[in-house]
Amino acid sequence: MADLKKKVIDIPEDILNIPAEKFEFAQIHNTIYDAVPETESRGFFKDALVRLKKNKASIAAFWILCAIIVLAIIGPSLTPYTFSQQFPEYVNMPPRVPYLEDMGIFNGKQVLTNRRLDSLEDTSKFPEGSVLGYSNPHEVRGVTLVDVEVNYYKYVGADDTYFWFGTDGMGRDVWTRLWRGARVSLVIALAAVLSDVAIGIVYGSVAGYYGGKLDMIMMRICEIINAFPNVVVCTLCILLFGSGIPAMILALMIRGWVPTARMVRAQFLRFRGREYVMAAQTMGVPDYALIFRHILPNSIGPIITRTMIAIPNAIFTESFLAFIGLGLAPPEPSIGTLLSSGQKVLMQYPHLTLFPALTISVLMIAFNLFGNGLRDALDPTQRGHE
Amino acid sequence: MRNETMPLLEVENLKMSFTSGKRGKKVTVNAIDDNSFKIYEGETFGLVGESGCGKTTTGRTIIRLYNPTEGVMRFQGKEISGPMTKELRHFLTDNIAMIFQDPIDSLNPRMTVEEIIGEGLKYRGMKNPEERREIVYDMLNKVGLTHEHASRYPHEFSGGQRQRIGIARALVVKPKLIIADEPVSALDVSVQAQVINLLNDLKEELGLTIMFVAHDLSVVKYFSTRVAVMYYGKIVEMAPSEELYRHPLHPYTRALLSAVPQPNPLLEKTRQRITYDKVRDHIEMDEPRMMREILPEHFVYCNSKEFERYQSML
Repeated sequence: MADLKKKVIDIPEDILNIPAEKFEFAQIHNTIYDAVPETESRGFFKDALVRLKKNKASIAAFWILCAIIVLAIIGPSLTPYTFSQQFPEYVNMPPRVPYLEDMGIFNGKQVLTNRRLDSLEDTSKFPEGSVLGYSNPHEVRGVTLVDVEVNYYKYVGADDTYFWFGTDGMGRDVWTRLWRGARVSLVIALAAVLSDVAIGIVYGSVAGYYGGKLDMIMMRICEIINAFPNVVVCTLCILLFGSGIPAMILALMIRGWVPTARMVRAQFLRFRGREYVMAAQTMGVPDYALIFRHILPNSIGPIITRTMIAIPNAIFTESFLAFIGLGLAPPEPSIGTLLSSGQKVLMQYPHLTLFPALTISVLMIAFNLFGNGLRDALDPTQRGHE
Repeated sequence: MRNETMPLLEVENLKMSFTSGKRGKKVTVNAIDDNSFKIYEGETFGLVGESGCGKTTTGRTIIRLYNPTEGVMRFQGKEISGPMTKELRHFLTDNIAMIFQDPIDSLNPRMTVEEIIGEGLKYRGMKNPEERREIVYDMLNKVGLTHEHASRYPHEFSGGQRQRIGIARALVVKPKLIIADEPVSALDVSVQAQVINLLNDLKEELGLTIMFVAHDLSVVKYFSTRVAVMYYGKIVEMAPSEELYRHPLHPYTRALLSAVPQPNPLLEKTRQRITYDKVRDHIEMDEPRMMREILPEHFVYCNSKEFERYQSML
């Protein structure tokens, strides 16, 4: 303490009492401008894109999505068949793809059980070269029965035709139907989600922006709509409007916009009181510009993310409805109706279920991975949250 | 120097209360409690007080971000406290602008500097983007930035730079009154001086009137011609800056001034911190307190006994 006092007193008098006239401004007349940053200006979306590109899984998911969408568009026209064309003589054909068949997969191989061993030589029953081998010989009432492995295409006398993913129980090409179905599913999901987002943004914006009583009433309406079980609403909707694509979209839409509206409202509540919104208000910026130029662009990240996550949900719901028999009317396929009809003969003809199931699984995983990547890119603070 | 006949802004018995809670359990907070003051053309009116005493609310009520509960506000004789119409909003935006406290939060992160500064012009009928750009570049130069900064986003700037962008945005519409809501409190001390000096220069250059809201008394002393001290929604003392610092009368003002550190170490050693006690420091009377002029232009909120005590202190 004593030391401190000494130090304070030690300050020379002439330093403490410098007259004001002796000071002069180092720089007063010419203005110094701030240096321009050398790096390139990076906007919000550019920034997000850079972050997205770093996420390998999302990029892979993005390309898988692109591939599926391209196949859904051009897939059906790659074959000479149409989705409703029936070949009564070629029912339940196994998959067969040129070139791949030489490698031992997709070669139209089928196992016929319990055939008489002696009939294998009969060319009227087993045409030349159709038998690939047999197994499990056993005797029933003095007759030797075997399981015969045949090239089914040669067996039915259609050596020069190829059904890439086989045919179904009515002799329709599965490849054509699968991609047609994927197209239908995607269209339904996209249309439903886009209209969800459109309604949700408008509804949520109004509720969140104006607040107060209006907000209270609008949110109670949301809760009432949300209280009905999804399956009940969809069933009623399909009963009422038939089972066409518009009816499916409507069925998915009726409840689908509620979460979007809630999310948009929450974003509005978050940004409504920010100083930049107030600043804009003091400058006479009208309400619509406040909503569309100030608040909405700042909440665009969560909205995009939610859209991306909602698409696979819509696809799944559509498939689920089709699976329980509320799907599109035949012969129009969707992934759900394909699965629904395929699972009935799952043990005999697994290829009828396998391909649609694989497609929908890959589609869902890809959408979810890409959606998560987008969320991380658009809102880095949300990384790791669910 | 001062236009005595016609104040630029006149505030009479302004009250602003916020209610929360539902029926039965309503809680009312009087953020501004019956305040009157005038701001004259060309002056800098400082409003000081502790956190949460209603300084910011006063500023925001004047520019009508809030609707006042009671009281009359007049700008150049025209009433601005009535119901909000399109015409009134136009009048307000033409005459009053605000500089906000938080340089990070007050600029929209999705807009470029040019869009931010030009927005006020755009909604005031200047539809031609070329014309707007000229003015924006000019304004950027005035606050020490260059036109290369115009295409940048706010996150690329430092706090001081952002605050200068905020100032440019407020000034671009050529308002008569600027409400500066703690424009430097979020900034580093070295940058504070830069922003304050800029405001001072612009004030002289453009002939502005500034209402300066702050809690830092040293900044207010440097910057303001008149100062009002606010405590719990109430203006307790109002005087020209020099006068207030020479004769602080209200015990809260004295407590506030005693909290300012002195740059001179010898004086700082002898500085006594005064605390303010609402019960101890006042004389209770049945008579309600009111603003009384104790010296010319020096008002204190007191009752008659306190008035006598303050007079004896001069």
